[in-house]
Amino acid sequence: MQDFLELIVGASATGCIYGLVALSFLLMTRPTGVINFAVGEWAMVGAFAGFLFLSEWEWPYPLGVAAIVLVLLATGWATERIAVRPLVERGAPELAPILALLGMLVIFRESISLWFGPDPHPVPYPFEFARVEIGPLFGASLAGSNQSFVIIASTLVIFFLAWWFFERTLWGKCFEAVAINRRGAALMGINLSRVTSLSFAAGAVVAGLGGLLVAPNISAHYLMGIPLAIQGFTALVVGGPGRVEGALLGGLLLAFAEQLTVRYAPVPPGYAFGVPLILLIVFLLVRPTGLLKAREARV
Amino acid sequence: MSGDASVLRASGSGEQAGRGVWAGLALWLLAAMLLSGVAFFLSSYYNDVYRKLLLWVALALSYNFLFGISGQIAFSHFAFYGIGAYSVVILLFQANLPLPLAIVLGVLLCVVLALVVAIPSTRLEGFYLGLATLAFAQLFLVVLNEGGSVTGGAGGLANYRLPPVFGMHLTGPWYTVVIVVVTLATFAILLRLDRSWFGRACRAIQDNEVAAAAMGVNVARTKIIVFTVTSALAGIAGMVYAFVDNTVNPPIFGLENAFLILFMVIVGGSGRHAGAIIGAVLLYLLPFVLSPLIGHHHALVFGVVMLGVILFQPKGLIGIYDSLRGRRRAAAGKAPG
Repeated sequence: MQDFLELIVGASATGCIYGLVALSFLLMTRPTGVINFAVGEWAMVGAFAGFLFLSEWEWPYPLGVAAIVLVLLATGWATERIAVRPLVERGAPELAPILALLGMLVIFRESISLWFGPDPHPVPYPFEFARVEIGPLFGASLAGSNQSFVIIASTLVIFFLAWWFFERTLWGKCFEAVAINRRGAALMGINLSRVTSLSFAAGAVVAGLGGLLVAPNISAHYLMGIPLAIQGFTALVVGGPGRVEGALLGGLLLAFAEQLTVRYAPVPPGYAFGVPLILLIVFLLVRPTGLLKAREARV
Repeated sequence: MSGDASVLRASGSGEQAGRGVWAGLALWLLAAMLLSGVAFFLSSYYNDVYRKLLLWVALALSYNFLFGISGQIAFSHFAFYGIGAYSVVILLFQANLPLPLAIVLGVLLCVVLALVVAIPSTRLEGFYLGLATLAFAQLFLVVLNEGGSVTGGAGGLANYRLPPVFGMHLTGPWYTVVIVVVTLATFAILLRLDRSWFGRACRAIQDNEVAAAAMGVNVARTKIIVFTVTSALAGIAGMVYAFVDNTVNPPIFGLENAFLILFMVIVGGSGRHAGAIIGAVLLYLLPFVLSPLIGHHHALVFGVVMLGVILFQPKGLIGIYDSLRGRRRAAAGKAPG
């Protein structure tokens, strides 16, 4: 039982990271239709910015995080300016920005490996490592490293902010409007290119914070991006690409499926890597709308 | 590559006159002899480089048909190359089958797997196909790593030799001849397909699926056939590759190669055979030129080149050549090859 409860904490934390990457995908895909596979590289940028500000320069954690958010905002904004906007303005085929972003993915990854080298870099924990136990519950307690709880709490805050943005602010309504009908939204006076800019900047911040949160556990490494992107995308597809809550739900489901397979399924642990891939394929084919359906326009 | 260029023009005119068929055949033969002849003047190191170059050209050509001509963005192409390589090695040396049977069964395996991927994938649009096939390619790597003694796990399979073909041991430049033949055969098949009703149906689907369907093209079936044929061609190239290095292991078939083929086709000029050849040659040889200058960071140059081409030269390098020649036929959708 104790074992199972610890697994719950670990899987939830992992699921939150997947959820953040999924949210980043969603922030861009929903209004623009662009699937930006470079989100994994943004997570990597977040992790390396963490190394630079927090390990190398030893800034205080809150100040460092603020600086990292700024770096990420700039990264997302610049990515959109370079690889998306010129193509949209030219009226290039829909696939063109997606392919250009694949080029950006390679550029991000190789620049980081050129700058920092191929070795993993340590990123500090926000708090001294400690074991947290909540309980007792059924004679055992929910336990895990405090970083797991930091990840879960931060993710909940970010998701709450995203939910609040979409549900309670005019800008969020603009995003929804663009997602539901681009042309109609433009006719209503919504500035499409500003929505696109903002969605990329916000996407970079969310993905980058995900990278920063997971980095203390796995270290910042220049190859960390693609696996995160695949898992985040799978989480998005499982949860439903139309809803903010879907991203978190998908991330959690994915992480639990993975961890439960590693722990309890009678297959070699290497096959656990296959779980998200099989989930991705199955969901794409059987239920492409995911578990939660996107909200339709209300008449 | 001058041999290829002359072949292009020759077989183009070959369709118009009956005797042109023979002229076309003669030119293919000449190209094969020229490209094979090169191998006998190269040292064993450059023979190795040359073989891999030819295989990349073959891969880029078939991927160009899948992505550039039919508009299916799939990341499974290199995985099928790997499936071909692994299957022929496993069938030959673990199942102890004779070579011809191993080849036939290997191709069959590629066809079956391609159908398994392609048939349900017709429901997916645009980049979602790319993601599903990316997952498939990753899954292939998981199976390679976890396959135990069958796939050799992370270390792969090694220490095998090509069995004699008709009593002959194909080694050195003679094996390069086999690769030349496979590459040219791939090219010939794709050209033939491209210039048939089928090829025009593929291009119609890429331009506008709904319009193509309205014109009587069976969209789903055409997509499935393209995916299966090109994947099988990639598998065949992989089978040949298995005896180039005489080892197959998971890192060889890593994901970055799936991106590399895509980059080759886009940089060269997607939808154009000549473009695929140029892209493959350029991106394959680039690291050899660049590595003395910037070490292992040639991938950064790939990314920059890829981005630059999409932003500034959407028709690829072949588009520059076209505009220099003052004939922009590609835009009209007419396939000059």
